[in-house]
Amino acid sequence: MKPILRLDGICKNFGGVVAAKDVTFSVLPGEVHGLIGPNGAGKSTLMNIISGIYTADKGSVFLDEKDITQVPPYTRARMGIGRTFQVPRFLQRSNIRDNLLLGTDLGNQMGYLNSFLRKKGTDFDAELQELLEIAKISFDWSNDISGLPFGKLKLLEIVRSMLGHPRVMLVDEPAAGLNNKEIEYAMDLLHLASKKRGIGVLLIEHSMDMIMDICEDIVVLNFGEVIATGGPEAIASNQLVIEAYLGGEQDD
Amino acid sequence: MKRKFSPEAIVLVSLLVLFIIITPRVLSGYSMNVVNIALMFAIVAYGISVMLGMGGQLTFAAVSFMGGGAYFMANMCTDRLGINMPTLPALLLTPVVFAGIAFVIGLLLLKLSGTYFTFSTIALVQVTYAFYNNYKPLFGGADGISGIPTLNLFGYKFTSYNTWFYVLIFLVIIVAVIVELIRDSQLGRSLAAIRDNETAALTMGINVYMTKVIAFTIAGALAAFGGALWCMHGRFVGSDMFNYLNAAQFIIMAMLGGVNNTVGIFVGALLVKVLPEILRSLQSYMQLIWGFFIILLMVFMPTGLAGLYEQIKANIKHKLQKKREGAGQ
Amino acid sequence: MDFRLFCTLALNGIAMGVVYAMLAMGLILLIRAVGVMNFAQGDLLMFGAYVTSSLILDFELPLYLMIPVSFICFVVIGLVFMFTIYWPLRKASYPAATIIATMGASIILKELATLIWGALPRSLPPIITDANGKPGILYIGGIPLQWQYVLTIIVGAILIFLIHMLFEKLYVGKMMQAACQDSYAANLMGVPAIATISATYIIVVCLASVGGFMIAPIYMVRNTLGTLQLRAFAGVVIGGFGNIKGAIIGSLIVGLVEVFSTVFLSGYKDVTVFMLIILFLLIRPQGLFGGKIADKA
Repeated sequence: MKPILRLDGICKNFGGVVAAKDVTFSVLPGEVHGLIGPNGAGKSTLMNIISGIYTADKGSVFLDEKDITQVPPYTRARMGIGRTFQVPRFLQRSNIRDNLLLGTDLGNQMGYLNSFLRKKGTDFDAELQELLEIAKISFDWSNDISGLPFGKLKLLEIVRSMLGHPRVMLVDEPAAGLNNKEIEYAMDLLHLASKKRGIGVLLIEHSMDMIMDICEDIVVLNFGEVIATGGPEAIASNQLVIEAYLGGEQDD
Repeated sequence: MKRKFSPEAIVLVSLLVLFIIITPRVLSGYSMNVVNIALMFAIVAYGISVMLGMGGQLTFAAVSFMGGGAYFMANMCTDRLGINMPTLPALLLTPVVFAGIAFVIGLLLLKLSGTYFTFSTIALVQVTYAFYNNYKPLFGGADGISGIPTLNLFGYKFTSYNTWFYVLIFLVIIVAVIVELIRDSQLGRSLAAIRDNETAALTMGINVYMTKVIAFTIAGALAAFGGALWCMHGRFVGSDMFNYLNAAQFIIMAMLGGVNNTVGIFVGALLVKVLPEILRSLQSYMQLIWGFFIILLMVFMPTGLAGLYEQIKANIKHKLQKKREGAGQ
Repeated sequence: MDFRLFCTLALNGIAMGVVYAMLAMGLILLIRAVGVMNFAQGDLLMFGAYVTSSLILDFELPLYLMIPVSFICFVVIGLVFMFTIYWPLRKASYPAATIIATMGASIILKELATLIWGALPRSLPPIITDANGKPGILYIGGIPLQWQYVLTIIVGAILIFLIHMLFEKLYVGKMMQAACQDSYAANLMGVPAIATISATYIIVVCLASVGGFMIAPIYMVRNTLGTLQLRAFAGVVIGGFGNIKGAIIGSLIVGLVEVFSTVFLSGYKDVTVFMLIILFLLIRPQGLFGGKIADKA
């Protein structure tokens, strides 16, 4: 199968600090691909390089085998790179509905004029209803988003990203700050995204339970370098990985 | 989801209808003139609302475009340059021309962000004001341009302020509806996303730069439209209107009513123009009180009168809910 | 161009540049300390000019008494300004609110000045006059230079230098800046943020007011002096935001460009000054001396 997302020799320095060094790996459609490593290993930097917020010093990013290294971030998003953040980023002064519509706007890509003229796009309400049932969220539409608890916001951000019909989803620590029930819902959402919709999911997560549970393939970073790749079992027993994590623990 | 007419909307529409019916029957002459100017200012302030309220971009440029629209209109219709357009096509042409001009200027200035952009718009105001005030062939210099014909709508000439009122309130409503539609469209949401966090907006597929330029274009077109009306209404255009102080005044106007609220902008424009007239007896203290009022407003309700209203509404809702919960137990 | 005219113009330009630099420095101190763009900076200058001229003209205080008395006034103005325009707004949810509040302050200062001292401009005699009461002239190599401009440059330069030393070199100043930027750490060190912020506001008012006093004999004391702040903004932009050295040099450039373009372009002098800003913003938005603009990703 052709990979949907491929990184080829990505390098990035921040004033002498190596954040990524010759990182190469690929994500297949319909696969949940774990991206793990100790704190400061360069995971979030890599996500920022993939979504185009940072430009890599060297190397290329391919989406569906098309080179998108020079493509600006908003075009990448429109080409199908969706993402969520460690701390959910929503419009604080808008209601929940408007916030989620941003996802549908991205999915429809009808342009400002068509949207202004009220052209019909995808059925926002039906699609949202489906996703919210999986996420087990219900609320009053017109309420401010700032009133929602953190866990719900994190789930909603995945929902918003899925409303944009991405081909690749970059999901940054979805489990952090969630209770066990909510983690389950998040996994259900990611399962739906990858298995039913064929989205390639790149998942950063510290919860090893979640990684081991849901990922088909895992890439491990340490100090910006890939130190191991493979399935969950192989990674769990990899000596380099264990050392990296132990070293990381000592630093903390 | 079908939107139903809320009781709030019904009250607002009734108030508006009352306003339209009563105002021209009670007022005339000078006081009608004041109300009309407030309406034209509201059109300009709606442009600021799109930029600052929706997109969070503080711009002073409104007066530059308002002046542009006014002088354009004056030159098109007074035979100064040998052009003698009828007023209606000239009026309709103005926002189109200045949308184009604002688009080009926006392409340049919006390469800057935040405070840099704000500064560049202040500089723009200074540059345009210097030209408006000095360059006689196009702008009449310090004397301005007089003898501008009034609006001629298929043979009907609007000569009294009271008849003008109906035209203006009609246009204000149209502009307000357009702004409200923008708010509820992809453009409005994209601008809100930019206001909150530009990086997050980028990852949601929003072309931050282009979206800001489009907002700037809309604001420029609205300001020019307001300016064109203003010069026809007063039959005169002078440079004084388009200086830095008035630029600040427009921003204050928008903030006063509630910069991100369509009804708030309307109320804000009326207050800024009408309140000083009502309090005329205080004369020399008026400006002083005005200054204190602005500060108090920013301290206690930075989202303007509309924000205050929302807050009160939320409080009442909260209390009612508590009461209901109390009754349920 | 005649060399004597050139010298006179250069002197005027530098003197005005120094005054703009005093405003610009205050702007940057405020941006650094509290992150607020002050749109009443020029009105502080105007008010300071009124206060000092009133002490001289109405109260007929000699210079040695006028200086301490006016300093007390500046302290009061600074404190009032900070406790009304900034302190209640420091946690405002709408960032534009603090800026709009300073616009309100601009209106208040202007109207207060008009109410107290009337709408007509007042003329303040230069500090050094000749036997006939005309402005004193300093001859250097046969070139006549007005004493008032020379003094403006000297006084302004000394003040700017002292405050620059305070903030950049002395421990107290560094502490003050740190305190302003991180009130939690400052409270740990035993420096209450409120004290350091108050001190900053007082310094800013002093800078602006002294500038107002120095140019009062040149421009007359009038309530439109506040618009000079736009030129200080220009200086800040040219020098790069947040950079005091840059802002000073930027302000001097603005002063010189303005004076020389007045000769050639009279009505359009604003065009040159502000086109310069727009060009600078487009070509070098970080200004002459600014570093790379911080990436807020």
